[in-house]
Amino acid sequence: MASFVTTKKSFLFPILMLAMLILCLFPIYWIVITSLKTPVENISRIPTLFPQKVTFENYALLFKEGYLKHVWNSVFVTAAATILSLVLAFLASYALVRHRFPLKLNSLFLIWIILAKMLPPVVLAVPLYDMFAKMRLLNNLWGLILVFQVYTLPYCIWMLFGFVKSLPLEFEEAAEIDGATQLQVLRLIALPLIRTGLAATAIFCIIVAWDEFLFTMLFIRTPDLLTLPLVIVNFIGEYETLWGQLMGIGLLATLPIVLFARVVYRQMTSAYSLGLK
Amino acid sequence: MKKTILIILALVTVAGGAFAQKSVKLVIAGRDGDYGNAMQIAVDAYVAKNPNVSFEVLKLSGDDVYQKTVIDLKTGTGTYDIVLIDDPKAMQYQQAGWLVDLDAMFKRSGKPVDSDFISTVIDLCRYPNGPKGRLYALPFVGNVSLFAYRTDLFTKYGLPEPKTWNDVLVAAKKISESDPSIDGISFRGVKGNPILTAFLPIFWSFGADFLDAKGKPTVNSPEAIKALKFFVELSKYGPKSTPMNNTAQIRDGLLSGAVGIAPEVWPAWLAKLDDPNESKVAGKVKVTKHPSDIKKSSPMNGIWHTAIPAASRNKAAAFDFLTFLTSKETQKLMVMKAGLPPSRTSLFEDADILAKYPWYPAIRDALESSVARPRTLYWAEIENTMGAFVQEAVIGQKTPEQALNEANAKLTQILK
Amino acid sequence: MLTSGRANAKAPFFWFIFIPALGVMLWLTIYPMITVFLTSFQDYNYISGSRSWAGLANYVDILGDKVFRTSFINTLVYCIAATAIEVLLGIVLALMFYGEFKGKSLFMILMILPMMLSTMVVSAVWKTLFHYDIGLLNHFLQLLSLPRAGWLIDPNMALGSIILVDVWQWTPFAFIVVQAGLASVPQEIFEASVMDGANYHQTLFRVTLPILRDQILLLILLRTIDTFKVFSKVFALTGGGPGNATETTSYFIYREAFQYFKLGRSSTASMITMIAVAAVSGIYLRKILNTKEV
Repeated sequence: MASFVTTKKSFLFPILMLAMLILCLFPIYWIVITSLKTPVENISRIPTLFPQKVTFENYALLFKEGYLKHVWNSVFVTAAATILSLVLAFLASYALVRHRFPLKLNSLFLIWIILAKMLPPVVLAVPLYDMFAKMRLLNNLWGLILVFQVYTLPYCIWMLFGFVKSLPLEFEEAAEIDGATQLQVLRLIALPLIRTGLAATAIFCIIVAWDEFLFTMLFIRTPDLLTLPLVIVNFIGEYETLWGQLMGIGLLATLPIVLFARVVYRQMTSAYSLGLK
Repeated sequence: MKKTILIILALVTVAGGAFAQKSVKLVIAGRDGDYGNAMQIAVDAYVAKNPNVSFEVLKLSGDDVYQKTVIDLKTGTGTYDIVLIDDPKAMQYQQAGWLVDLDAMFKRSGKPVDSDFISTVIDLCRYPNGPKGRLYALPFVGNVSLFAYRTDLFTKYGLPEPKTWNDVLVAAKKISESDPSIDGISFRGVKGNPILTAFLPIFWSFGADFLDAKGKPTVNSPEAIKALKFFVELSKYGPKSTPMNNTAQIRDGLLSGAVGIAPEVWPAWLAKLDDPNESKVAGKVKVTKHPSDIKKSSPMNGIWHTAIPAASRNKAAAFDFLTFLTSKETQKLMVMKAGLPPSRTSLFEDADILAKYPWYPAIRDALESSVARPRTLYWAEIENTMGAFVQEAVIGQKTPEQALNEANAKLTQILK
Repeated sequence: MLTSGRANAKAPFFWFIFIPALGVMLWLTIYPMITVFLTSFQDYNYISGSRSWAGLANYVDILGDKVFRTSFINTLVYCIAATAIEVLLGIVLALMFYGEFKGKSLFMILMILPMMLSTMVVSAVWKTLFHYDIGLLNHFLQLLSLPRAGWLIDPNMALGSIILVDVWQWTPFAFIVVQAGLASVPQEIFEASVMDGANYHQTLFRVTLPILRDQILLLILLRTIDTFKVFSKVFALTGGGPGNATETTSYFIYREAFQYFKLGRSSTASMITMIAVAAVSGIYLRKILNTKEV
């Protein structure tokens, strides 16, 4: 089936590609140049497509005021939450695929996972807040890592379940015949085979955790522990919309994730392929 | 491998936390913007004199500081040692017993409560309000809404100093029609607190009020409807972006010369008014208390209270800072460096302050004439509700009658 | 699956590795949901601490609350519009850029950047672009001699503007999902169809789309779930205004709980929302689960 636009050699095609790219990437371009413009230029009534004067003062201010600390918070919480979710999800998926639990627990659990993904997180916010307050896990990065599981765990289970399911049984059965324990089969056979699936899941988990806003806003009480999304919101404050610094921090908050773009593309393409070939 | 990383990460976090500690650490839940700057100035001055005390100052939005402090104080977590409370919400904190009794702390320290504080202001810090109530907070800032207008434009178009709101409407119309590059008037239109705050001085001076003598909502009284109709009329001479305009837009508009009248301004916004480096209208703006209508000028009282949560673990240290914060010297410092209006009478007569901000006596006038918002546990909801309906009227989605009738019904429900 | 004979001996291991995830999920979702369920029948003011049984009064109240109804409708409109536009655009883009061509990898990688940005960053930059006075979009309109648009100010436009942001951010997702599906269909199927004399249209509707049916349904489900939860964008861009134009159920619940501290009402609103989401998703779930073996 040929492409919608008849042939790739038509001169329309590159133009179309360019048009799409501009639509897609223009806001990102805007982030970059706004962060490089002076405050005066940013509030002028005539927006400029190129900075009249390129300045790094926004970034200098950001570093001086210690925003690296927030980058660290985001990195730490995201990484830890992802690792935790991957471990829990992998173990659970393996169990769900390889074992039939009584009382239709398998189906129930998986349906529950889907329902949990559908919940607007704000619905759980109040009771979780109460619970975490009693356990003294508020205002604490470890508490955040735990509560992030509300977002990341269902996601990881959903994804890893699919990957584990596609593992051929033969390898594991062969290992069992050779006398391997269940744990060894899990660790030495299943785990390595699922490496790419884990990587794909990890990346999506990272994107979700990195983006989290609501629980961080509610649970974190002191500014030192804030993650990047909250710092960004604080910038859109009542008194000053420091566009330059806001975009600067936006860029810093984006770069780590964007580095993964290539991997995301590869993984998504294989994950969502129909496997008909 | 992953486990090792986790353990290392854990150790680093704990170590980092340990290194950050000093003898006493006070956590302040404060506001952002100019309030945050002022608080920082006070904190820095205090630390210079008391190096064994360290601070963590949160600079939060109004909504955020409310939400965080309520939850913290309710659960008795004790994260904060000093909290900033918006005046209309103070009653909730006072009534629930979340705050330390400052009368007792003053007695214990042997110092009397300063009589220098402006009486209308300090009375609000007491519960029940009035000179006989117990003191639960000290006023952080003598904040009150003010009225500002361009004297040069008024002279140019032969307009008299606006003494009534009708004068304001006439002037706004004249300026807008004569000069399309200038907005005759500009006020905050974001729904909720901003637009309501802009509206209240008009609301009150037209003779309307929130509750009648029996405590029932009367926001759809004939006076109120008249006030809202007037407000909607006034908005016609303001910028089209009014519904999205908040503090930054009004302040920038005034300082850049694009606005003729700003009927709701706060002292903190005007700090740079006469600074030729930041303002194009230095010396051309007069700041006064609001015009009147049937009732007297009714600036809205908007002080911020500073109080100590009962759950704080550093009460004595917090109290010491609190008295420092509201002392004459510190307040003067905050006025001179951050433009935050003081709550002490003596400072309104201080020569240095008057030299820098010749319009400051207007604040004292306004404070003495000010009206405080109703004392109720449900202010957050009432404010948001009224603010939403007022905005609907201004953007033309409802007529003023409709908006206020619905608002009144909602308020009745809230207060049930 | 395992045979029953060996199942018993192996079961403990599987329970052992399953329980941690099960436990976390139960603790973090089921327990709170039970609390929300119970609180929805109570009149609970967090600040004063007063708590009393109210039966169905909250439900009557919330369902009759004009702001809630508006927020619900807004959320539905947002959900349906955003999902529909994204899925359609994703399909169109996948069809447009189908096949191999020079620079495809790089092109695709660049196209998916929007969905990788943090929502706050996206909201921040679009807030700048939408700004009435100094925003770029209005600047362009002015250059074209068109009147400035109140992107986030005009109550008739505001919701559409937020939908626009979501479409910008997530169409790449739809694009890449459909693209992946399309690319994995063997050429022979299309060639066979062409040989049978089918034209482009016929191939598209009788061959291509049916093959992609489940893929597209999954995509619709995912976007529906995601858009229904919208909160961060509303929080950052409009705060629910102007008027109630961009009120959404998540924002309504947030405000009742964390600004008014009326936990009974927020719980009730939560329950109503959850029932709606479950119902809507149930339809898709049934379609998907029928074809997919659980």
